[in-house]
Amino acid sequence: MILLESHNTIIKNVLTERFVKPSKIDVQFVDYDNVRFHLSTPTSKTVLVLSMGIHCWSDLKKYGAPEILEREFGEWVSNDPNLKEQDYDVTLVLDLEKIPEEGDDRDALIDHFSMLKPIILSAPFHRAYNEHSQLASKHKSTFQPGMADQAPEERGELMIIHYREEEAIYVQAANDRVTIVISTLFTDETDRVFGKVFLQEFVDARRRSSAIGTAPQVMYTTRDPPLEVRNAPGIAGVKRSEDVGWITFVLFPRHFATPEIASDTTFKLELFRDYLHYHIKASKTYMHSRMRARVASFQQILNRAKPEVIQDERKTATGRTFRSR
Amino acid sequence: MANTLRLYLTCIRNTLEAAMCLQNFPCQEVERHNKPEVELKTSPELLLNPVLICRNEAEKCLVETSINSIRISLKVKQADELENILAKKFLRFLSMRAEAFQVLRRKPVQGYDISFLITNYHCEDMHKHKLIDFIVQFMEDIDKEISELKLSVNTRGRLVATEFLKQFI
Repeated sequence: MILLESHNTIIKNVLTERFVKPSKIDVQFVDYDNVRFHLSTPTSKTVLVLSMGIHCWSDLKKYGAPEILEREFGEWVSNDPNLKEQDYDVTLVLDLEKIPEEGDDRDALIDHFSMLKPIILSAPFHRAYNEHSQLASKHKSTFQPGMADQAPEERGELMIIHYREEEAIYVQAANDRVTIVISTLFTDETDRVFGKVFLQEFVDARRRSSAIGTAPQVMYTTRDPPLEVRNAPGIAGVKRSEDVGWITFVLFPRHFATPEIASDTTFKLELFRDYLHYHIKASKTYMHSRMRARVASFQQILNRAKPEVIQDERKTATGRTFRSR
Repeated sequence: MANTLRLYLTCIRNTLEAAMCLQNFPCQEVERHNKPEVELKTSPELLLNPVLICRNEAEKCLVETSINSIRISLKVKQADELENILAKKFLRFLSMRAEAFQVLRRKPVQGYDISFLITNYHCEDMHKHKLIDFIVQFMEDIDKEISELKLSVNTRGRLVATEFLKQFI
């Protein structure tokens, strides 16, 4: 498995099962980036309550997550304060009597629910895409086509999403692009070194093969944040050491040309950190298994140095043999 | 490149062959004790001159000999940060399994990455030439293993990056 999946498998499996045969349930589970879920049936078997707690909800709230929630999950969002769970930010109520008949519609709905976290997290991205189109049209109307090169670029609001402790995503729109900066923390020395190698490959990948030339441009720095976010509020408090990696993705209009492409791009970028760390860990595992194999082979070489103990049959003078019991 | 490695290893092999003539030697100070003199260095007359064999600044091998024991310390090539971390991890992994390798020292001598301590008992239990084969093979393999690990990390990184960016086409 090289690529990670955006949807939450537990939600998908549980809903697929419960939609067919309603029964009592109370499970708590997690997703990437410390996202917590709670799926339960507090009142009756046919009413499933799905709650999600997300670390950066206060940030997302500012950047249009409630609107996205309303748009995507409108009829399922609960406004009943009794059902709203403490410690969770989003609560959906799934009435099993309202769900569509078995078939494609139902599968689509289950898929949609399992994408709850990526959809909520995509709010600031979509806001940036909209902001970009406004800035671009304004820019076009203000300046002549020939003058556009000299025209000062316009930038939108810098949105900061603290998706983990000490790690954040910065999103900013401009008249010709959308810049996404993802900061990540390597807690381990080995992770840091491997991360550096991996990130360098991301930077070089576009240069190496022309097939992925249309992918977003990637840049990375360690220690000091890139220029785009150097003046961001609160950036002075961010840890500066070799353990911090800053990855910048520059999205051009073709990466969010249609709503489908835009959502797809967003879901992939949201997974970037998990993808990177997943592969660093996988690399370490591979390294470990190789070391084991190598140690075994060294052991074999050393054993060759030990002389074999020859067990020859000892006989008495009369020709009888000894036998130990 | 391979040629210089060959010479380096041959030199080490010859040195070890010459150095590995160990005999039982009880401790001179404490009765009924028998300790590797190369570690204790109780008396200068029991020690021989140490031999330092260098391939280059980063790769060297120190052979210290005494009457009843010999200590071989290796420094492995570490060209960059990644090789450094791989070497460190690998040698730590080996040192932790020193029990299984009778001749491996639990801690390397200062300034080196890994050390072996061979006593006269080891020489009595095992074939001497095979023991030397092991040391030389070890040196050869460790370089190979580290460069292979490095290659695998780089290959994985490349694949991972390409696959991720391919999604955006």
